[in-house]
Amino acid sequence: MTKKKSILADQRVIVCLVIAALVIIYFIFSPEFRQYSSILSMLDFSYYDILMAIGVTFPLITAGVDLSIGTGMVCYALIAGRLIRDFNLPVVLAMLLCVLMGCVVGFANGFLIGVMNLPPFLATLCTCMITRGIGSMIMATPWPTNKQPGGWFHSIFKLTFGTGRSATKIPIGFVLVVLLVILMEFVLNHTKFGRYTIAIGSNKEAVILSGINVKFYHVMAYVICGCFAGLAAVAYAAVVPTIQPGTGAGLELDAIGGVFVGGVSARGGYGSVLGTLAGVMVIVLLKTGLPYVGLQANWQQIITGMVLIGAVMIDVAKRRRMAKEQ
Amino acid sequence: MKKKVLATLLSAAMAMSLLAGCGEAAAPAPAAEPAAEEPAAEEPAAEEPAAEEAPAEEAPAEEAPAAAGGSGEYTGGTQFDGVVAKEAYKFPVDVKSFQSTYWQAALKGMDMAKAELGVDYDAHGPNSESDIADQVNMLNSDINSNPPGIALAACDTKSVLDSLKDCADKGIPVVAFDTGVADAPEGSIVATVATDNTQAGEVAAENMYAALKDVIAGASAPVRIGEINQDATALNIQQRGMGFVNKITDLIVADGKKVAVVGNEFYANEAKKAHADLADEASADVIIEVAVPAQTTVELCSAQAQAILSKKDTIGVFGSNQTAAEGLLAADANLSLLGTDAAGGDVIGIGFDAGSIIKGAIQDGTMYGAVTQSPLMMGYYAIYALTMAANGDKVEDFPTAGYWYDATNIDDPTIAPNLYD
Amino acid sequence: MAATEAILTMENIDKTFPGVHALDHVHFDVRSGEVHALMGENGAGKSTLMKVLTGIYSKDSGTITYEGKEVEYHNTREAQDAGIVIVHQELNMVGDLTVAQNIFIGREFMKGFRIDDKKMIEESRKLFEELKIDINPRDKMSDLTVGKQQMCEIAKAISHQAKVIIFDEPSAALTEKEIEDLFLIIRDLRAKGLAIVYISHRMDEIKVITDRVTVMRDGGYVGTLITKDCTKDDIINMMVGRVIYEEPKTESHVPKDAPVVLKVEHLNAGRMVQDVSFELRKGEILGFSGLMGAGRTETARALFGADPKTGGDIYVNGEKVTINSPQDAVKHGIGYLSEDRKRFGIVVQKTITENSTLASMENYMNGPFIDKAAEKEVTEKYIKELSTKTPGADQLVVNLSGGNQQKVVIAKWLVRNCDILIFDEPTRGIDVGAKNEIYKLMNRLTAEGKSIIMISSEMTEILRMSDRIVIMCEGKKTGELDISEATQEKIMTKATRDIS
Repeated sequence: MTKKKSILADQRVIVCLVIAALVIIYFIFSPEFRQYSSILSMLDFSYYDILMAIGVTFPLITAGVDLSIGTGMVCYALIAGRLIRDFNLPVVLAMLLCVLMGCVVGFANGFLIGVMNLPPFLATLCTCMITRGIGSMIMATPWPTNKQPGGWFHSIFKLTFGTGRSATKIPIGFVLVVLLVILMEFVLNHTKFGRYTIAIGSNKEAVILSGINVKFYHVMAYVICGCFAGLAAVAYAAVVPTIQPGTGAGLELDAIGGVFVGGVSARGGYGSVLGTLAGVMVIVLLKTGLPYVGLQANWQQIITGMVLIGAVMIDVAKRRRMAKEQ
Repeated sequence: MKKKVLATLLSAAMAMSLLAGCGEAAAPAPAAEPAAEEPAAEEPAAEEPAAEEAPAEEAPAEEAPAAAGGSGEYTGGTQFDGVVAKEAYKFPVDVKSFQSTYWQAALKGMDMAKAELGVDYDAHGPNSESDIADQVNMLNSDINSNPPGIALAACDTKSVLDSLKDCADKGIPVVAFDTGVADAPEGSIVATVATDNTQAGEVAAENMYAALKDVIAGASAPVRIGEINQDATALNIQQRGMGFVNKITDLIVADGKKVAVVGNEFYANEAKKAHADLADEASADVIIEVAVPAQTTVELCSAQAQAILSKKDTIGVFGSNQTAAEGLLAADANLSLLGTDAAGGDVIGIGFDAGSIIKGAIQDGTMYGAVTQSPLMMGYYAIYALTMAANGDKVEDFPTAGYWYDATNIDDPTIAPNLYD
Repeated sequence: MAATEAILTMENIDKTFPGVHALDHVHFDVRSGEVHALMGENGAGKSTLMKVLTGIYSKDSGTITYEGKEVEYHNTREAQDAGIVIVHQELNMVGDLTVAQNIFIGREFMKGFRIDDKKMIEESRKLFEELKIDINPRDKMSDLTVGKQQMCEIAKAISHQAKVIIFDEPSAALTEKEIEDLFLIIRDLRAKGLAIVYISHRMDEIKVITDRVTVMRDGGYVGTLITKDCTKDDIINMMVGRVIYEEPKTESHVPKDAPVVLKVEHLNAGRMVQDVSFELRKGEILGFSGLMGAGRTETARALFGADPKTGGDIYVNGEKVTINSPQDAVKHGIGYLSEDRKRFGIVVQKTITENSTLASMENYMNGPFIDKAAEKEVTEKYIKELSTKTPGADQLVVNLSGGNQQKVVIAKWLVRNCDILIFDEPTRGIDVGAKNEIYKLMNRLTAEGKSIIMISSEMTEILRMSDRIVIMCEGKKTGELDISEATQEKIMTKATRDIS
């Protein structure tokens, strides 16, 4: 049973190499990308993807999925934004409200899947539609801008010193998400919740027979996912000027795609949050970086799709090799 | 400021109803799209009639000067000049909803026309723009009351076709405003009052060129003007985008410079069709770069804008709808290149439509200005068109103009009502 | 032993599922320091009885007395906490977790929020030492052999401070060597005073390891015997109500000059199939014997085109053929009955008809449409011929018993007109009565001129059915015996040749 483990066997290492390759290509072919501001913008638009992806890692590891995070995120941001504008709801409370709404929808997903035994795809497709519907009832909403009262929350993601062209901007949001990634990686590997999440994805029957309250942990995976969708709503509101009603469908696919690129097994039972971070960065680089090298928009999606196929092939090959070694 | 109070109250009511129970079907649903000019996303053909028409100022004033005192404030030079109502008509008006300030502006325009003409109108609208069936019911009950004419802004152009057939049968003239109905039954819609998108794009180009004329003239190296279009498929965006590209090309070429149009294939090809004398990128003095994101999201618009803004030779960028304009602003958040002082090195950013973000950016000098559609004018002319139709006169389709606004006229009483939050 | 009081007594247990009287006033007891076999055909109610005991099902009536008190558990957790632990027939291990994580799943040692993996590994190591098992607690469960996984299950059971351990067909997937290890552990546990319930189909094992035998039939209690005082036939009679035990075949009925229908030369496919050559004659049953992991299934899969080969030639009826996929194999009249029916053999959520014609759809088409009538006709023909027990051809396969499911798979290949059939563990998980029918069926098929390759891990099955026997060990063919010269000892010697 002693196996030589090549460092390349870890998908995360491959993904990091892909990131490095992309960055190098962009640097060589695009003088614009070399500017600090380009990196800043890319990071700005990566936070909500990363946050959604951290959350959805958990349902994916249980061999489930959550399709409601994209529309959910937009829906929470819209509702909270409206309350800020029309009821002077303090921004802190609005942020908490986003997370709370996320948890509630996450719980609903978890209940339908873990307790009522609905297939995850179906259950979350329903909540996706519902959140999208609710989101389309609410007027387009900008959260307070940097200059308005309550605009301080932008500084969670980016500290700005000075004004205008000479301003220094520090993307502390990235530090924040990395901390969250590390926290959730710990949760996944060193707490009961994380362990049972993996176990449910690997062999749910066995977990039930071990006398574990599987329903609780299964529901929790979706609550965590919803909670992060709520956090993503804040990050989304911080970068998207006006949140348009009825949007958000499709955003979850970037996050889910990133998680798969990051090495979560498409059949559940294996995954890491660090891998998710790396995987989402690949998607973000493709999404926001390709315009710099002058590639027409459609290519972004084609290339993203091909990268995903590559990632899934690695998973398949890994499983085949494991099966052979037995 | 009354409008603002009203709008706030309405949105407050909406928010409360949301809190009370989002799930209830009966919950008053607020307006979905403030950017109400966007129906073309679903019905690209909808605005076609308007587009084919000559721009507003060239519309033939075939109406003979009528009884004195019949001229309205904004009817001069149009087919509506001198129109007098033969009776005190009362028209039903079906709007898409009441929830957005966009529609409040339209109603305000109607009020103006109403006062001038001595007619009346009665506005109905569903809770939200997606309550298509509700609107059809309202329209049908309006038809049953045999009115002298109906003004309609259809939530869904396909769903109203049966009702329009009834109108044609009963001889009730219908004026479509804001949104044209492409396949309307013969004889039902007598006129369409909607934005002329080509002209709106041209307005942006004229103002862009005015701001950059000296920079272009004095440039020693090629310069670049960007355009962010949300997509290359919706007719209204296509018209706006090409209106801008063609107009600014004409203006620059007229001053003896060479222009190249690059970027998205659709727009670049259309530009080649319109201008036989385009240069290639290497030899041009001015490069017009058109970018289209993979999806119509702000983040992807922003990525495109960021890529253009980051180029050292970029001197101006036009975002051709609210999403694209906000994407431009989001991209500038880290660059701070946009401004109003073109000679001083600022990049000139021009937007489209309104919304508090764009308005704020114009007020603080980040965005040079923007083009707005005019729901106010659409409402105003819709009542005039209805009155003419009720009088039994022939009415032409009436494209309304896109209006330029910037920090100097943003509070102007003819502009401000059009600028929704 | 008889002197000891029963630690656990189940009295008059009754349980009804919709349409089935699963348990009909069943009696069962087990004492500390004994191994008590629970026997019966599949569907006799053994597993249901144990599920009632461990709280997975609730009983309708009856009493369970444990350590002198009446008890009722509502889930496995409660039963575990009380010291009643079940080692399941299907391994219930989480493949993606480590051995230690599996053993302590559901009762992890904690350090605040943090799981104390170190301590869990330490405790696992102690357990394995106690059981004299050589397993690294840090290994990922899916990297272990089935036998070692089973050992982990046992270790997990013992770590619950178990007083009663239920083994539900523990040996089904184990090699002979692993079974020996298992028996050592069971004897050790018995010596420590644990009460052990042993559910198995294997008569040999029952005789070797158990003290008493309780037999169930059709949900009812038949009786309890002292193992050493009874014979295999006694037990089987109680189980099926008839004597069916058959003696090994003594000589082949296949003429020496029967034509060779399949010839395999120097077949290679990875480390599990190395240079395997053999011939199959018309009307013959060629047994493939060997221990688990000897490469028999891999040979069959490579032959069938299910796994890629790295070399070798295959001749069907004297002609060299290329087989790169199951489609190729089927085209040449080779059918494969997988050892894992549920995964590879049948589509359980479909009807018998759909399964029967699955491999030969093109013969039951009417233009672009499926010819339902013809499909049904042929299915019913084979239901009759194979005496498949089912209310009708439209029955979902999932509702059939294991033996009847196997018949559906056989029907599938017969419908396809396959002349060469590979039976991989044809009677695994099938009860004694149904086993006999499968055997009869195989004999009939060969009498009709079909040829069969039979892979089996049960020595009695090999000796009873085969005309010739190929023995494999660690991916190589280590011997070939005619049935007239084959004995259990000879086979086992060749099967273990390279194992120290």
